[in-house]
Amino acid sequence: MRPGMKDSTLRFYKERMLRVLVHIQQHLDEPLRLDELATLACLSPHHFHHVFTGMLGESLASHIRRLRLERAACRLKLSRTPVAQIALEAGYETHEAFSRAFRGSFGVSPTQFRRRNGKARQIQVRSGVHYHADARLKGFRAARTGDKKTMTVTIKQLKPMKVAFMRHVGPYNEVGKTWERFMMFLGKEGLLGGDAQFIGICHDDPAVTPPDKIRYDACVTVDDRFQAQGEIGVQVVAGGEYAVMTHFGPYEKLGESYAKLLGQWLPRSGRNLRSTPYFEVYLNSPENTEPADLVTDLYAPLEPARGGHHACDRKD
Amino acid sequence: MPATEKIDLCKLHKDEYVSPKKPVLVRVKPAQYLSINGEGAPGDERFAACIGALYAVAFTIKMTRKFAGKQDYAVCKLEGQWFFEGDLARIPKDKWRWKLLIRTPDFVSQADRQQAVATLLGKGKTREVEEVKLERIDEGQCVQMLHVGPYDREHETIAQMQTFAEGKGLKLAGPHHDIYLSDPRRVPPQRLKTILREPVSAS
Repeated sequence: MRPGMKDSTLRFYKERMLRVLVHIQQHLDEPLRLDELATLACLSPHHFHHVFTGMLGESLASHIRRLRLERAACRLKLSRTPVAQIALEAGYETHEAFSRAFRGSFGVSPTQFRRRNGKARQIQVRSGVHYHADARLKGFRAARTGDKKTMTVTIKQLKPMKVAFMRHVGPYNEVGKTWERFMMFLGKEGLLGGDAQFIGICHDDPAVTPPDKIRYDACVTVDDRFQAQGEIGVQVVAGGEYAVMTHFGPYEKLGESYAKLLGQWLPRSGRNLRSTPYFEVYLNSPENTEPADLVTDLYAPLEPARGGHHACDRKD
Repeated sequence: MPATEKIDLCKLHKDEYVSPKKPVLVRVKPAQYLSINGEGAPGDERFAACIGALYAVAFTIKMTRKFAGKQDYAVCKLEGQWFFEGDLARIPKDKWRWKLLIRTPDFVSQADRQQAVATLLGKGKTREVEEVKLERIDEGQCVQMLHVGPYDREHETIAQMQTFAEGKGLKLAGPHHDIYLSDPRRVPPQRLKTILREPVSAS
């Protein structure tokens, strides 16, 4: 890789994300669909949310919520539109809910804010992105973690892995039940041998997909002889290069590590993501391990190394 | 399936599986374990295969019983006994003799073990599963202490335990017993937690 390549990749990622941020500001009154935003960022919807959270330092949902509140603040100050109307435009159905959210962000109620002609505390965000009526956004500060210890990323070349899997559709925090049934089946069949690997593939993003629609595959590596039966399917986890980061601690905090890997490491790595799903490998069992001692490897699929440019960047 | 609570032996026998960072006397009741014997350096191929075989049998027994609607339980952490005389550091690592253990509820039977081994062999899994035994170990009175740090510094903790035992008119009778609370593949050596257990007898 030639010198400076990594900086230029970061620039590409920032340009893509800037397109998304401008689009969000121009379309605050619309539902803002995930796949549309992901397309603007040249990312698959699988990966988009984590990249966004990691780069901006806030989730997509809270970013949109905040900008709608900031726009409401502008309108309170500069217009005479009734508060109830502004609340509705900000996506709040009741005045109370709007007041609560507004006070939480600005420290005063919407009425007080208007009376004081907009004198209130400012919302502080690391990215520096705030609402502008003309959506003129020149750039933003990409979040960066100073914590080197938790940011050790290695690149691994994997062979394709044949896995038996059981599909879970429903809240992410209930995948344990599917694992229990799946392990029981595999165990009685003698398939939990010493070298079996335990893998989780999440096809949807728990942060943006309704809980009852999240698809997750509990997977265990099997040998060539294994055949699909009943609720147990067979799939192949794609080989190729992966960026791997170890997550230490409870499963509830996996999202934070994904955001670091995809939103902070990736843009500075000079690499692009492949559109196959990312996955996680569980290295110890929650059954006999305290949540703080759980160890999980996160795998993000990479395109073969080449320029920082992405085919989709050339469109505009 | 009957709605019964899952048994966790480590939580049930807290005094045996939670230790402070100073020596304490503990009476360890007789207990049943899945076990496998071996010789060689920890971390070599044979050692890794034995750990794999032990876990394979432990999970296969548990899941087969669970599938049959029998009492469920949590598979415990890995433990190990080490057999040596004098100073372990002076013995070449490839001559180290050990017995790896996973504590297992009393209601697990030899028939459960045999069935699990047959199932695993039928799937062509690790040959070592045939060597996995189910046995009772009675350690009686022991000195225990939590060791935090690399395994090759255990002798410092053992020295403290020995002084403590001698102060009570006891001597270390062996074999030395480790309960591995941390995962050595990932936890840095300085942060590894291991409960050390030394059976004692009147001196």
